[in-house]
Amino acid sequence: MNEALILATMRQRVTSPVRMVLLASMFFMPLLFVCFAPGVGLEPLSNGYGLTLILAAGIIGQDVSSGVLQLVLARPVTRREYVVSRWLSVSLMGGLLASAQVLIAWLLLLARHAAPGPAEAFSRMGANALSAFGGAAVITLFSTLLAGFGDLAILLLASFVMVGLYGIGELVHQDWVTRFAAELGGFLVPEIPLDPIQRAGDIPWVAIVSYLSTVTLCLALAIVVMNRKEFSYASSS
Amino acid sequence: MSAGIVVESVSKTFRGGMVRALDGVSLSIAPGEVFGIIGPNGAGKTTLFGCLLGFLRPDAGGVTIDGHAPDDLEVRGATGYLPERLVMDRWMTGRDFLAYHHALARLPAHDRERDVEAAHARVGLEPEAARRPIRKYSRGMLQRLGLAQALLGRPRWLFLDEPASGVDPAGIVLFRRLLLELKGHGVTVLLNSHQLEQVERVCDRVAYVGKGKVEAVETVSAGAGAERVLRVRWSSAERAPAAETLAAVAERAGGSIVGVDPGSARFQVSDDAGASRLLETLIGAGVRVIEATAEEGRLERLFLAGRDTP
Repeated sequence: MNEALILATMRQRVTSPVRMVLLASMFFMPLLFVCFAPGVGLEPLSNGYGLTLILAAGIIGQDVSSGVLQLVLARPVTRREYVVSRWLSVSLMGGLLASAQVLIAWLLLLARHAAPGPAEAFSRMGANALSAFGGAAVITLFSTLLAGFGDLAILLLASFVMVGLYGIGELVHQDWVTRFAAELGGFLVPEIPLDPIQRAGDIPWVAIVSYLSTVTLCLALAIVVMNRKEFSYASSS
Repeated sequence: MSAGIVVESVSKTFRGGMVRALDGVSLSIAPGEVFGIIGPNGAGKTTLFGCLLGFLRPDAGGVTIDGHAPDDLEVRGATGYLPERLVMDRWMTGRDFLAYHHALARLPAHDRERDVEAAHARVGLEPEAARRPIRKYSRGMLQRLGLAQALLGRPRWLFLDEPASGVDPAGIVLFRRLLLELKGHGVTVLLNSHQLEQVERVCDRVAYVGKGKVEAVETVSAGAGAERVLRVRWSSAERAPAAETLAAVAERAGGSIVGVDPGSARFQVSDDAGASRLLETLIGAGVRVIEATAEEGRLERLFLAGRDTP
């Protein structure tokens, strides 16, 4: 973990006008729904994945394609440190934004006497923050594989495959195909639903193990890929 | 005692072996030496830099810096690097950029402000420029800022890839002065440049890289022993000496005449001593010499004499 890298990544992300417009839309639009239709409760809010996706797109690939990375790696910074710092940076931003969105929505609902209990709001905030960290890990891995915004292309392709497999599984009544599609979905969008804990005190162990293994696997693979990469424009010319 | 930079039989290919960028390159650069790398485009100079900085892994052979791998953090902490294609986070101000690299270099935070200001001033950037976003910098200013970041933390190893590219004449003079200053402080500098005059003025030794191989490593002063063409001008107030007279004088001095133009003539001389002998003989023969200049720089002569020019 490198504080300078984390802070620079945060500043880099918020200085992109396109990213900021998308982020503002994704942050405020659901709040407008909550404002004008308080009956829907916290339902219109995203799970933190979308906000993180906007922040994390091109998290490593952009530095690779622009050539900025070479100056960073000429410093006493390990590639592992670089990957983890970049991931942590967007995870923190995504998690904070997603949690803040829930908090603002809950306060709006509270003002209109339509708020769910604080436990539900806190559970939602926690789940959103976890979703941000998980989603950022997946994007970080994809971003090490392709330069620029290639991570979005991989994510899109994987999502199509998942939906396709799910459809095929349903069509031919093959459980293993739908199961595989569900596992792929779980990999692409790692999350831990905290509702069961909040409602009945049941700890979703399977979801926790699945989430932790996905995040660990993604970061480990991202580090391996980065360690194997060569950086020089001579190699691409 | 530092071991310097050692490159041993480094080979590197790209595109699955289709392009051989480096072919058994070996070099040894002593600590405190200013070492130039010259050669035509596509000769493998940047690939060599990539291997020296640990960005590229050689297919064969190896590189050590002070006995360590080039990507060793201890080496990185003492390395400054200015790439040829300098890309920076354009949203940062010049000050932000230097502060960021100061932090990445793990230099003491309490010295940051002072070091950043000093680095900015050292490369001749106006204090006002420090507050300006990098996207508003000219090419020359970017190059100066890049050099400032490379000099942060007093590096022991400095890798400069075309440092004066896009820089105005004042900048080139400043870069040269800085390089000589660093040389005085015992910094080991690797300089890749097409500006032979600059390389000649600051480097102790120069390697000529061509087609992925080191074709020659020469001390820059070896150029004094090389053959060259000397252009000699005489006072226009005098009557021009006859071409036969000039040819006879050149022969007496051990050289030969290449051509005669109005007010000047070009002579082939064997070395520095030959040039000196020619001038003495010309003056002795009554030619009022007012200027004598070598037609190319010493490095140009050195490599034009020994190698096919691309």
